[in-house]
Amino acid sequence: MMKPPAFLRFRSMQTNMALAFALLILMMVLIMIGVSYMLSQDAAQANAKAYTTELVKQVNTNIKAYVNGMEYITDMVDRNPYVQQYLSPQGYQTEGEAYHGRMAVAMFLESMAVSREDISSVSVFGYNGRFATGHPSLELNPYVDYAQLNWYRNAQEEGGAYVISSSHVQPVFKDRYPWVVSLSTELRSRSDGAKLGIFLIDLNFSVMNNMLQDIRLGQQGYLFIIDAEGKIVYHPQQQLIYSNLKTEEITRVLQVNNASFTSGEGAGLKMYTVQDSGFGWKIVGVTYMNELVGNLDEMRLSFIVLGLVCIVLAVIISFMVSRRIGQPLKQLQSYMKEVEKGNFDIQVPVPTTIEIGRLARAFNMMVGKIKELMAQVVQDQELKRANEIRALQAQINPHFLYNTLDSIIWMAESKRSDEVVLMTSALAKLFRASISNGEELVTIHIELAHITNYLKIQKMRYKNKLDYEIQISESVRNYMTIKLILQPIVENAIYHGIKMKRGPGRITIKSEETKTDIVIIVADNGCGMEPEHVSTLLERSGRADKDGRGVGVGNVHGRLKLYYGPQYGLRFESTPGEGTAVYIRFPKQLSSQPPESVSQAGGANR
Amino acid sequence: MSWTYKRALAAIILLLVAVASLSYCAAGLSQREAVRITVIIKSDAASSEFWQVLIDGVYEAAEEFGVQLEVRGSRSETDVEAQIALVEQAIEEQPDAIVLAANDFDRLVPAADRARASGIKLIIVDSGINSDAPHSVVATDNIIAGRKAGEAMEQELARPASIVILSYVKNAASHIDREKGVRAVLEESPGNRVEAYYVEGSEENAYRKALEILKSDQAVVGIVGLNEPTTVGAGRAIQELGLKERVVLIGFDSSVNEIKLLDEGVMKATVIQRPFQMGYLSVKTALEAVQGKKVPETIDTGSLLITKQNMYEEENQKLLFPFVND
Repeated sequence: MMKPPAFLRFRSMQTNMALAFALLILMMVLIMIGVSYMLSQDAAQANAKAYTTELVKQVNTNIKAYVNGMEYITDMVDRNPYVQQYLSPQGYQTEGEAYHGRMAVAMFLESMAVSREDISSVSVFGYNGRFATGHPSLELNPYVDYAQLNWYRNAQEEGGAYVISSSHVQPVFKDRYPWVVSLSTELRSRSDGAKLGIFLIDLNFSVMNNMLQDIRLGQQGYLFIIDAEGKIVYHPQQQLIYSNLKTEEITRVLQVNNASFTSGEGAGLKMYTVQDSGFGWKIVGVTYMNELVGNLDEMRLSFIVLGLVCIVLAVIISFMVSRRIGQPLKQLQSYMKEVEKGNFDIQVPVPTTIEIGRLARAFNMMVGKIKELMAQVVQDQELKRANEIRALQAQINPHFLYNTLDSIIWMAESKRSDEVVLMTSALAKLFRASISNGEELVTIHIELAHITNYLKIQKMRYKNKLDYEIQISESVRNYMTIKLILQPIVENAIYHGIKMKRGPGRITIKSEETKTDIVIIVADNGCGMEPEHVSTLLERSGRADKDGRGVGVGNVHGRLKLYYGPQYGLRFESTPGEGTAVYIRFPKQLSSQPPESVSQAGGANR
Repeated sequence: MSWTYKRALAAIILLLVAVASLSYCAAGLSQREAVRITVIIKSDAASSEFWQVLIDGVYEAAEEFGVQLEVRGSRSETDVEAQIALVEQAIEEQPDAIVLAANDFDRLVPAADRARASGIKLIIVDSGINSDAPHSVVATDNIIAGRKAGEAMEQELARPASIVILSYVKNAASHIDREKGVRAVLEESPGNRVEAYYVEGSEENAYRKALEILKSDQAVVGIVGLNEPTTVGAGRAIQELGLKERVVLIGFDSSVNEIKLLDEGVMKATVIQRPFQMGYLSVKTALEAVQGKKVPETIDTGSLLITKQNMYEEENQKLLFPFVND
């Protein structure tokens, strides 16, 4: 497996989890922001397009209403008999008739335009030179030849069809230069189809202008209108277009009907929504795409801010959660460390988290089990030790008995019956005092009594060859010791030290005491031992060598170690030819209770 | 646990700092202030079509570019003191830019210098000042406009003659330049006599002056009015005296009255400017200057000679017949 990069190499599960959570949430937030941004971008564009289309349609409907009104009036005028007669080449018979005819036409035209604020003028221009208008105050501009004006000529060319002009200044009336949209048509005679003249109806362009001026598509978007030739009917920045400060996609607008297209680049990207009016004009809504994107920028910004807040919250929460999981584990770990140190007397508090709770409970159970097993082991060890001690004890008794009986046999052979009696009674006393007593421990005082009896017997046997001295201070005599520790040592001193020696031997039993321990020293001035012999002497605790001897010393050493701990036991100091001193060391203990070192010995027994 | 914990804590703090700085940036971005521009024009008189169209252009640009706009003007074009006070007031308010149409070529200079010195971008529209302070001048090249008028006059006269120039105010840069242009053309041909009169800023004065000149000097066959009121005033005098066949009138700018004069043949031609462009471009240029872009020293919005023949052409209609207040 590859090694993860350094920044991922966090050791704690808590940090890893927090990091994983944070990354996961970060990814999700980013994806969500991306998706919703794209969705909202699409939605914004679709909305803008729908809105613009709707608005452009609305404008178209409004403009068409005006145009339809104008067409309606035109139809009325076309069919009107007064107008027909007024414009007919035949004319009127009398002046009076002519005057009345003119008045009738004027009144009719006036009735058409009345209460219509949007109508600037309604007029007929007859080929017979007659002219009538709906506004009595209007006079023809003497300096303008109306036959040269576009609306007049175009109507003539179209021959009966409506002509709708672009927006323009109407100079045909004196002292008036209004901006209008003109609808003109050539009137025909209803009787013979002869061309009669031109009908003109002007729509105040200010009406449309006011309507269009206030329409804004977004901040910068706007609306413009062109006629069938691509001439601008209305544009909020017409002047800028005429002076080439701005250009408009007029050719492309002319090519499409009721559709949208985009033009420009970057910040100048515009969407053109074109609506065909049905009478030649095209109404175009222009929307700036960067405005939509501008809105989206704000949206994106708030997404990012929101996302970051989410991430921070997520990180905090994930740290809290991972802490909640990690903390009990850490606690558990610290308890495990305690156990590792050997302290089994602990109970991990069970956390509320189910999994960790189970773990903690299992751990507690495990520790309890281990503790139990440990106690078991200690108990077993104790039992084993006790058994061993008992075995050694059991071994020493016959050993002692054998030795004593050996002495008695020797005395009986020499026919020293008094002494046999003495020794046998001493032996009996000894047994009564010690062996028959089931206690393992005796006071040093009693132990000294044993050894004194023993030495008495030996003295009888060896006479002057053996001399002994017991110098145990009173202060140690009340301390406890395991029984029969001195006899095998003294026996050893007699048989291996003094017996081998030429001339009389002397055994001295002394005591030393430290703060905690008592040392009883059994010294002889016998023949001593080689150092190699000393070292082998203690190794066979309780086991006899091939001639069955040496059981005693090992036995004593073994029992001391088993009972008091490995630091206690025997130590030999021996110089060949000069003598041997045996140091018997055991702790001070007043009662017959087992000493503290027992448990320590058990613990160290691993 | 300590070192990873510290590291995690550091990471959280870092993240918080990042969020804080980001949201601060975001707040700064969204609260970006609109550019503030103060426009000071020659006259706030609603009667002047020229200024109304110019202000239309100003508003159009302001709306298009999202500028916070303030438009002011002295009561009359001759009120130089009032305009200086307006400039001083604007300097107090510390807008990002001032667009100024100076009423006086010389007397606005100290105020303009102070505006520039206080870090405000200064754009001159229509009428300049005798100073290097403006970042840009957006105006008709009035010498060229004057030359157009002079050329039209020469064409109509076709012989050496005595011509009068009626100037509205004595020390407005636009008028000085127009007069220069007219003179440059007319004084080139030998025999022409050109004389300029100042009418102290009223149509009535122009009318009286023209009347006086035409009555007293039969040799005068041409009048050039350097702006709308002077032209209309002179036109009224010519009409009143019935001299439209003998006296050639060339005007500047446009209004309904001038159109009538043109229609009736009293005025042979008028040189029109593009006030909408001026207004639009002055604000646009001011904005560019504020944004630290390099702006050209002068922007010529151009002029156009309108005669009876071309007056109803589509392009010219919009310039001649601006529908303000409609």
